[in-house]
Amino acid sequence: MSVLRRTGQALLAPLLAVAIALVISGVVMAAIGVDPLRALSVMTDFGDTPSQQVTAIVVILNRAVPLFLAGLAVAVAFRMGLFNIGVEGQYRMATVVAAGVGASVTLPGPLHVLLIVVVAMGVAAIWAGIVGVLKVTRGVSEVISSIMLNFIALGLASFLLTGPLRGSEPGASIVTTKEIPESGWFPSLNGLLGALGLANPPRQLYGFLLVAVVVGVVVAVLLKRTRFGFDLRATGLSASAASASGVDAKRMVITTMLISGAVAGLIGLPDLLGSDHNYGTQFTSGLGFLGIAIALLGRNNPVGIAVAAVLFAFLDRSSVPLQIASIPSSVVTIIQGTIVLAVVIANEVARRIARRQAESGTAVAPPATGDGSSGEPGTGPPTGPAQSTSTAGRTDPTGSAQ
Amino acid sequence: MTESAPPAVELRGITKRFPGVVANKDIELRVARGEVHAIVGENGAGKSTLMKTLYGMHRPDEGQILLDGREVVFKSPADAIAAGVGMVHQHFMLADNLTVLENVVLGAEKLHGIGADARAHILTISESYALGLEPDTLVEDLGVGDRQRVEIAKVLYRGATTLILDEPTAVLVPQEVDELFGNLAELKREGLTVIFISHKLDEVRKVADSITVIRRGTTVGTADPRTTTAKQLAEMMVGSELPTPETRTSTVRDTPVLELRGVTVGGQGARPAVDDVTLTVREGEVVGIAGVEGNGQAELVDAIMGLRPLAAGTIVLGTDDITTWSTRTRRERGIGFIPEDRHRQGMLLDAPLWENRVLGHQTEAPNAKGLFIDRKAARADTERIMREYDVRAPGPDTLAVALSGGNQQKLIVGREMSAAPRLLIAAHPTRGVDVGAQSVIWELLKDARAEGMGIVLISADLDELIGLSDTLQVMLRGGVVATLDPSAVTPEQLGGYMTGAVSGAA
Repeated sequence: MSVLRRTGQALLAPLLAVAIALVISGVVMAAIGVDPLRALSVMTDFGDTPSQQVTAIVVILNRAVPLFLAGLAVAVAFRMGLFNIGVEGQYRMATVVAAGVGASVTLPGPLHVLLIVVVAMGVAAIWAGIVGVLKVTRGVSEVISSIMLNFIALGLASFLLTGPLRGSEPGASIVTTKEIPESGWFPSLNGLLGALGLANPPRQLYGFLLVAVVVGVVVAVLLKRTRFGFDLRATGLSASAASASGVDAKRMVITTMLISGAVAGLIGLPDLLGSDHNYGTQFTSGLGFLGIAIALLGRNNPVGIAVAAVLFAFLDRSSVPLQIASIPSSVVTIIQGTIVLAVVIANEVARRIARRQAESGTAVAPPATGDGSSGEPGTGPPTGPAQSTSTAGRTDPTGSAQ
Repeated sequence: MTESAPPAVELRGITKRFPGVVANKDIELRVARGEVHAIVGENGAGKSTLMKTLYGMHRPDEGQILLDGREVVFKSPADAIAAGVGMVHQHFMLADNLTVLENVVLGAEKLHGIGADARAHILTISESYALGLEPDTLVEDLGVGDRQRVEIAKVLYRGATTLILDEPTAVLVPQEVDELFGNLAELKREGLTVIFISHKLDEVRKVADSITVIRRGTTVGTADPRTTTAKQLAEMMVGSELPTPETRTSTVRDTPVLELRGVTVGGQGARPAVDDVTLTVREGEVVGIAGVEGNGQAELVDAIMGLRPLAAGTIVLGTDDITTWSTRTRRERGIGFIPEDRHRQGMLLDAPLWENRVLGHQTEAPNAKGLFIDRKAARADTERIMREYDVRAPGPDTLAVALSGGNQQKLIVGREMSAAPRLLIAAHPTRGVDVGAQSVIWELLKDARAEGMGIVLISADLDELIGLSDTLQVMLRGGVVATLDPSAVTPEQLGGYMTGAVSGAA
């Protein structure tokens, strides 16, 4: 199979799914009395002046960066067959502590930023590591422990914010940590926009975009090219085969949770270092959960996750113009929901078709002597009512093989 | 078996094509009601394709299926089940964490509910066919033979009058095979029809009332088991004589490669799974471990591979005490592993062949370059293995799931041999592979032995054990109960030791 055909096949399912999701969303919009075409035109209208258009793109990219990092954090664990539902708590803990540390020191520019990044990654990694340790030593399901740790993290973050790390005046309506000094801000990329001959918008394009790209490349290389990545993916495909091959399953769980957590620690930083400069009650929330949807949408593949993050960011941006056009902004949520559902279903269907094709390939081999076997894998589709659970190895929870 | 009655199952001119190949061509099959009808043929000959057609898993391109003289069209296995055709798959499809009752009822809740009524039905089935089922036992606590009987009960519970058994003896030891044949006789006595797929000719001749032979996708004839010899059947099947596992002269050297001293592995209850096993494998020696499945062989293999902790004892590889080494270190230092269940432990089915070549040898040349996987070299080496070990597949990027079991196994054997291990743990190396692949694997093991590799061979095929081994160790209830000389023991005697009927060392 040629690479081109493979890529085509890999793209076909999600594209088809997005199209179907848009149709379904259109029907829903029509049902609640919104003209879908008008909604679509409002969503795709980036404004009239070049400055407005560039601003719209900057808003989308700025939103896409944390979404991408969140998707990546979830995907790393997914690839090993671990559900890290706790990304939400991990990044919230990381951000509040990093904001506190960042505000309390003064260092020369790059060092200051580096310190904040390292603290954030470290805190989130530790928070995720707890999940790994619990799983390995006590057999606690990572789904349960990571969800529970989310609640603890949110509570703890609130305590830190209102208590030891509080920076805002007592009685202020918005509680925040102390502002990080300017040396700890991440420079924007607006200069780059100018160099590209684009209008310089009033919004700052997060410089953290570059960090996200680097992290994306590193994760992609780690998963695809390294021995560690091989072990990780092998464990995700079949835990029993991986341990028979010499993978230390326990160490793998902990290392993977640490990596997933470290990436999760970066999620809050684009906003923290790029625009807010403090952590407060109004700091962006819910990114961890969106990350799960984005990882699913991107099939746990860094490139796919980037596309998914941009798509979600685009949809998120349109909620304000929609409201201005007096269309309920929940339209966006509907579209996001249907896209995720449609893509997950499409991926699963595509996977089954591919597997069916591969299996009937068994019979395709020329019937020469010395060929063949009796041990055909998973003889029979899962449609037979006389069949129950197959004992096949553990499969990727998101139905993505590659 | 009246001559005038239409056959219970009749296939006329069945042809099934897959892209680029004809898997079945003009198949003719007549199975009388109340008989055990064997379908024999090399694997890859098209037996499974044919049975999938009969079970409604795919539709034939040409030809007719007649049940009791009436033509039927099956769109899905559900149709086949409704028409009274049931299939017992070679790979059991049971949920380990459910009871026998729950497994049988699962998916057929509409028939008799899930309560007392269902239980009564299962007990009736169990009694009338002497299946000996205990409805409340967890399937995970059952042995292979019992699991198979649960599968049979599932099919009977759904009202099947024609049972297809796909290689039912591949996973059983002789005593269990005899029990299965007893069950089949019961089924036959009650007027049920059994279609029995196999490539073990002795068994077929023992149990079948009539035989249909398939070669290269088409029926080449029928045979009467009472008048046909195994040799004649073999010739019909492959057109040549069957290979034998006999080894030639002894190549055993003095240097030990593996020494187990008092190895004990904890079990589920108070009784250890492996109980104080001491044995030595020398260079160039094949030590066969015989035993009824579930007597500690699997746990012993896990212990040697470092997949299961020892309760006591030491394991020495060469001169190194490896008791505390990780699985990876053990593999790096020269233990090769052909696992018992290649789908569970040997392969990543959803990964391409070249990744499967890397599996288990992630840290070794040519797969690794520092901390990175050398994809190019691994692919090239996969092509070499495919060439040298006759793995039939389109290329290194093919998914492992697309390969037949024999080809998967040849890839695993090739991969393990490529690392030139000092010690090879071969657990059921020819299970579920056809005659051709079997003889290839036997030859490879013999060559490796001649070159000085120590081999631990676990097998349920007693001919294979006796033929290949230099020493036989019999395991019963976790302990080694007898050490035998394979040149002076028959399969029947060995079976006696395995079940504990005979005791003491020879």
